[in-house]
Amino acid sequence: MKLVTIVTEAYALDSVKNLLREVGAHGCTHFPVEGTGAGGERAGEIKEFANVQIEIVLQPAAAQTLLERVEKELFPRYCMIAFESDVRVIRSAKF
Amino acid sequence: MDLLHAIQANLLSPAVLFFVLGVIAALTKSDLKFPEPLYVGMTIYLLVAIGFKGGVAIADAGIAKVWLPCLAAIVLGALIPLWTYPVLRFGGKLPGVDAAAIAAHYGSVSAVTFIAATNYLKAIDVPFESYATAFLAVMESPAILVGVVLGKLAMKDGGPLSGASLRTAMHEAIFGRSIFLLVGALVVGALCGDAGMKKVEPFFVTPFQGVLALFLLEMGVVAGRRVGDLRKVGLFLLGFGVLVPLANGALGVVLGQWAGLELGGATLLGVLSASASYIAAPAAIRISLPEANPTLYLTSSLAITFPFNITLGIPIYLEIARYLYR
Repeated sequence: MKLVTIVTEAYALDSVKNLLREVGAHGCTHFPVEGTGAGGERAGEIKEFANVQIEIVLQPAAAQTLLERVEKELFPRYCMIAFESDVRVIRSAKF
Repeated sequence: MDLLHAIQANLLSPAVLFFVLGVIAALTKSDLKFPEPLYVGMTIYLLVAIGFKGGVAIADAGIAKVWLPCLAAIVLGALIPLWTYPVLRFGGKLPGVDAAAIAAHYGSVSAVTFIAATNYLKAIDVPFESYATAFLAVMESPAILVGVVLGKLAMKDGGPLSGASLRTAMHEAIFGRSIFLLVGALVVGALCGDAGMKKVEPFFVTPFQGVLALFLLEMGVVAGRRVGDLRKVGLFLLGFGVLVPLANGALGVVLGQWAGLELGGATLLGVLSASASYIAAPAAIRISLPEANPTLYLTSSLAITFPFNITLGIPIYLEIARYLYR
């Protein structure tokens, strides 16, 4: 199984969620985060100006589709990074 | 001389001094920072408090008195982007989508600027129609929709105009938490009337000034963090961020007088026309016109126009109103 992690501006959350539905992800976890990057420092006290981290567990093929579409459709529009990692999932029937 | 006095009275209010303190905290890289729940809690408090008060005032005044100035406010909000767009596009030589995004921000309004203005008028004993909060509620969305349409038209490959982007902008503009709370509290206040006001007065009226001062401290920090971006936006937007509010403010005051408002109410309509949104509009624009550069619209509304209005703008719009009402 793959864990895809997306860190992006809070405004992009809805677009990411729509994309997740389209590639068949069964769910996701997201939380507000702070940090620094190409766009300078992002503080978190105003939700709209903050960053979110979105984590999704997927079958490898779905993870591949998701990352390709994120790169093509969302990277040009939002401040965003995305990466995947291998994970061992205990309740794999859920995905 | 009157203008100087008016400015002085504003600059020495707790709210404005705390705002300046916040800017200093950001510039000196102090670790002062409000936790997110406190920020959200204070916005909810301020919006509900002014919404409720405005609703009670609508119940007192009756809809017959309120609808004409409300209509004037809506028209003003929708028209401001139409004339600021060409200024940005051709005067500032900005790309169409950026011009549209900034125009949407300047047509929409800043609730905090409005609240600071009501606070200022109260402090110097200038009466105003408390139902002016209704203008704040109706002026937030029209400009955002006009701005999104302008932006889509400006982009050759911006996708279909009637598409999902307009719907998302509309949803964000109407059901975003600030407008939702404000309109909701207006309705609750209008239903409760004076009797309801008596029950909540100790909570929503007495501590209001203190909460506003604290909130402006935080807004000072938030605006101060953007000062570094001023270098990125260029001289044109710096001038735009000060001169356009002055022109819009004057326009708002004139329209307020025409719609039959008192001096204080016309000043508030001026303040609303002059103010630029930095929470609702960016949220809607970022989603509907993601091609527009957020540094441009956020910096001009939050780091230029907002501090200008809070410190100098508000007393200037009052003086314009005083001149017209002589």
